[in-house]
Amino acid sequence: MVVKNYKKNYEKDINMIEESTLSNRKSNKGKIAQLLPYLVLIIVIALIPLFTHSSYYLHILILTLIYIIVSVSFRFIAISGQFPLAHIVFMGIGGYTSGVLAIQLKWSPWLTMPLGALLAMAIGILIGFPFARLRALYYALVSFFFGVGMIQVITAFGRYTGGIGGLVGIPGIPGLISTNKVPYYYFILGVTIVCLLILYRFEHSRIGTNLKAIDQSHLVASSIGINEARYRVLALAIGCFFAGLAGAIYAHYNYVISPASFQMSQTLWIVMYVLIGGLGSFAGPIVGTIVLFLVPEFYSSLRTVVPFISAALMLAVVFLIPDGIVSLPGLLKLRLEAIRKRKREL
Amino acid sequence: MQYTALSIALATVVNALVLSSIYILVALGFAFLLNILGILNFAHGAIYMAGGFICYKLTMGLGLNPWLGMVISVIIMGLFGLFLERYGFRKFYGNLNKTLIVCIAVITIFENTANLTEGLTVETVPSFAPGILKFGIVSLSLERLVTFLVGGVLLIWALWFMRKTKIGLQMQAVSQDIEGAALQGIHIHRIAGIACIIACSLAAIAGCFMGAYLNVNAFMGDNIMLKSCMLVILGGVGSIGGVFFAGLLIGTLDAVLPIYLSASVGQAIVLAIAIIILIWRPQGFFGRKEL
Amino acid sequence: MLFEINKLSKHFSGLVAVDQLSMFVNEGEIMGLIGPNGAGKSTVFNLITGVLQPTEGTVKYNGKDITGKGPHIIAELGIGRTFQMNPLFPDFTVLENVVASFQCRPKSSLFDIFFNTTTYRHNEASILKQSIEILQLVGLYKVKDELAKNQPHGYQKMLGMARALAVKPKLLLLDEPLSGMNPEEIEFAMTAIRKTRDQGVTIILVEHNMRVLELCDRVVVISFGKKIAEGLPQEVRDNEEVIRAYFGGHGSA
Repeated sequence: MVVKNYKKNYEKDINMIEESTLSNRKSNKGKIAQLLPYLVLIIVIALIPLFTHSSYYLHILILTLIYIIVSVSFRFIAISGQFPLAHIVFMGIGGYTSGVLAIQLKWSPWLTMPLGALLAMAIGILIGFPFARLRALYYALVSFFFGVGMIQVITAFGRYTGGIGGLVGIPGIPGLISTNKVPYYYFILGVTIVCLLILYRFEHSRIGTNLKAIDQSHLVASSIGINEARYRVLALAIGCFFAGLAGAIYAHYNYVISPASFQMSQTLWIVMYVLIGGLGSFAGPIVGTIVLFLVPEFYSSLRTVVPFISAALMLAVVFLIPDGIVSLPGLLKLRLEAIRKRKREL
Repeated sequence: MQYTALSIALATVVNALVLSSIYILVALGFAFLLNILGILNFAHGAIYMAGGFICYKLTMGLGLNPWLGMVISVIIMGLFGLFLERYGFRKFYGNLNKTLIVCIAVITIFENTANLTEGLTVETVPSFAPGILKFGIVSLSLERLVTFLVGGVLLIWALWFMRKTKIGLQMQAVSQDIEGAALQGIHIHRIAGIACIIACSLAAIAGCFMGAYLNVNAFMGDNIMLKSCMLVILGGVGSIGGVFFAGLLIGTLDAVLPIYLSASVGQAIVLAIAIIILIWRPQGFFGRKEL
Repeated sequence: MLFEINKLSKHFSGLVAVDQLSMFVNEGEIMGLIGPNGAGKSTVFNLITGVLQPTEGTVKYNGKDITGKGPHIIAELGIGRTFQMNPLFPDFTVLENVVASFQCRPKSSLFDIFFNTTTYRHNEASILKQSIEILQLVGLYKVKDELAKNQPHGYQKMLGMARALAVKPKLLLLDEPLSGMNPEEIEFAMTAIRKTRDQGVTIILVEHNMRVLELCDRVVVISFGKKIAEGLPQEVRDNEEVIRAYFGGHGSA
C-alpha cells in the first residue's frame, strides 16, 4: 500500500498526494537502492552453471525453483485466510495434463504447458466456489482430502496417466533440450522470476489488500462491498494457475511425472516450506523451500539422518520462532536491544 | 476348504465389518481431536502405524502373545498421546498452523524410524486368534470375527463414554465452546489430555488389528489418514454418528469392490464419489452448515 | 421517501427477534431506532444489510426492492453501516483501514489494478485524498499511521464510522455509535454525525443511550422486536409505553 512518507501536516499531505501520485514521475534513486540486493542475488544464481556442470546440482536447483513457485503461490492463497492444503495436487494436475496432451495429441509443449496451467486454474475455481464459505479449519481438512484423493484418482486412469509407475516419455521443451541441463536451468530461472514478480504485484495491489481484508474481518469486508466468495475464488484461481504452470514445466523438464511426488507427505511438506519460512512475508516460502528442500539435498549422503534434523528444525521453529525463519533477524534485533537496555540500567 | 457362495458372502460381510471397525476406530480419535482441541491431527495415521509396529516388534522380536503386545502398544501410545497433548498441542488449541508443524514433525520422526528399522519390507503381525470357525458349510476366520467384535465393543464403549459419563459430557461441552466450558469450571487441559489418550489408544489398537488383518509397513499411516479424513468429512464435522455411518459405508465398499474390480480402481472410484459428494455438499451427510 | 421497510420479521426457530416492523426514512433525516437492550435493533440492521435473511417483509431503497440482497451488493448501492461490536481490520493502520474501504466509488477493474494503469493510479490518489479528508472529519488524522488494534475504544468507534463513510453512502446505518464513549467523545461523535448529515447523508441510528434523541429528527422505538412508538423525540420521550419498556413500569424518564 502506498501510504508511506507522509508528514503529519494535513494541508501539505493533500498537496503532496496530488502532485506525486498523479504525475508519472517516480523517484528513481530510492527504487534502485531497494532492488539492488535482489539483482545481485539473481546474478549470482544465474552464474552458478559457470561453476558447476554437475547435472545433479543443477537438477536440485531446478527442482528448488519449481517448488518455490508452488510454495509462493500457496502463500498467495493463504493471504485470504484459506489454507489450501491440497495445493501440490494442482502442480500434479498441470503436469499430468500437459504431459498427457503432449503424448496423446502430440501437441507442442509450448502449447500444452499453458493449457495445463489453465486446467489447474479451472479445477481450482470449480472447487473454490463450494469451499469458499467454509471455516478455515474445515477448509484445510477438505482441501487436504481433495488433494490426496485426487492424485489417486488421476493415478487410476492408468491407460492415460501411466498408473503407479507414472507418466513416462513426456517430450522435452523444444529449444531447450541439450546435453546438459543448462538451458533448462536458465529457462526455469527466468520463469520463476517472472512468476514471483507477478505474484508480488498482485499481493501489493488492491487485490492483495482486499484478500488481507477478508482474512482479518469478513464481516467488515463484505460491508464495504468486497464480494468475499469471488475474491476467495480469485485467490485460488491465481494460486492454482501458477502451481499448474510449475507442474507443467516440471513434467517436460523431467520427462517423467509420477504420483510418488504428490503423496500425503509432499502435500504437507509444501505447507512446511511456507510455515517454517514465514507466512507473513513474501520471502518466507522462498527461504523455507531453500532450508527444508535445497539444503537437505546437499547432504543426501546423510539421507538417513536428514529427516530427523529437519523435524528437529521444525519443532525449534514452532516453539522458538513462531513467525518463521524470516522473522529471525527482527527477533534477534529485539533481543539485542533488550540486552543492551539491561546493560545500560546496570 | 470349501468356498461356497455363502461362505464368500459371509466372509465379505465380516471383512466389511472388520474394515469398518478399524476405520472408525482411527477416524473417531481424529474427530475427537478435531472437535475438542480444534486441531487437525495429521499425525494420527503415524500413531496408528506406530501402534501396529510396536505390537509387531514385541510379538516377533520378543515372542510375546499378540494380545499382550497390543496392550503394551496401547499403553505406550496412550502415554505418547498424553505427552503430545502436554507438549505439542497445549499451547496451540485451535491454531492450525502451529499444530500442523508439530504433526508433520511427528510423522517425519515416526515414519523414518519405522523405515530405518524395517525398511520397505512389509510384515504381518501374528494372528490374534488363529483358527477357523465352522458353522456347518460356512467357514469364517476366527481372527476377523474377534477383530470385529473387539472393535465393535470398543466403539460402543466410546459412544457410551461420550454420552453417559461426566467426562464425556465435559468433552462435548469443550467441543462446542471451549471458553464457555472453561468458565463453567471444566478443566480443559485435563479433558484435552484424556481425549488425546483415548484417540491414540484407539488408533494403536486399530493399527495392531490391521497388522494382523493385512500387514504393517512404514507408510500405512498415510492411507488410513486419507480414510479418516473421508469419514469425518462425509459423516459431517461435529457428528460422531456420522463418522460411524460413513465408516460402515466406506468399509463395506472397500470390502466389496475389490471382488469385482482391481484394488486401485476400486479405491479410486470410492475417492471420486467422495470428492463429488464433497463438492456438492461440503458439510457431509450429518454435519451442520459451516460458514 | 428514501428508504422503507415493510412488515419486516425475523424468526429464529421459536424466537421472534423482529416482529412485523414497518418504518420509513426521508432523505436528509437523522432517524433514531431506539429501544432497550435485546429489543432487536442490531438484528434489524443485519436484516437490512443482508447479513441475515428476513423471514418475511420487504426492504425498499430508492424505490428498489433490496430485500435479502448480500452485504456487498448493499454496499455497492450506497448503504454503509457500522457494527455494534465494531470489528475493524486490526492489522492495518488507521489510514489503511479507510483506504481499503474504498471499494465502490471509485472502482478499479482487475485489469487496471494489475497493470497499474493511469486509471488505477488516479483512483488510488483520489482515494488517498478522500481517506485523509474523512479522517480529518472524524478527528483521527493524527493517529493515521497507528495500527488499528492499538487504538483506544473511542477512536476505534470513530474509525468504524470513517470506514462506513468510505462507501460514499447515501444512507448510513450507525449501530450504537456512542456506546462505550466518555462524555467528551460523545460530544465529538455527535458533531461528526451532524456534519455528515449536512453533507447529504441520510442516517439511521441505533442506540439505547437516550442522549441520542438530541440528534434525531424522528424516532422509532422498538421493544422485543415490535414497534411501540414513533414520532418526534419530545413526543417519544414522554410516551408511557416507552418508559415502561425501559424501566419496567415504575419511575419517570
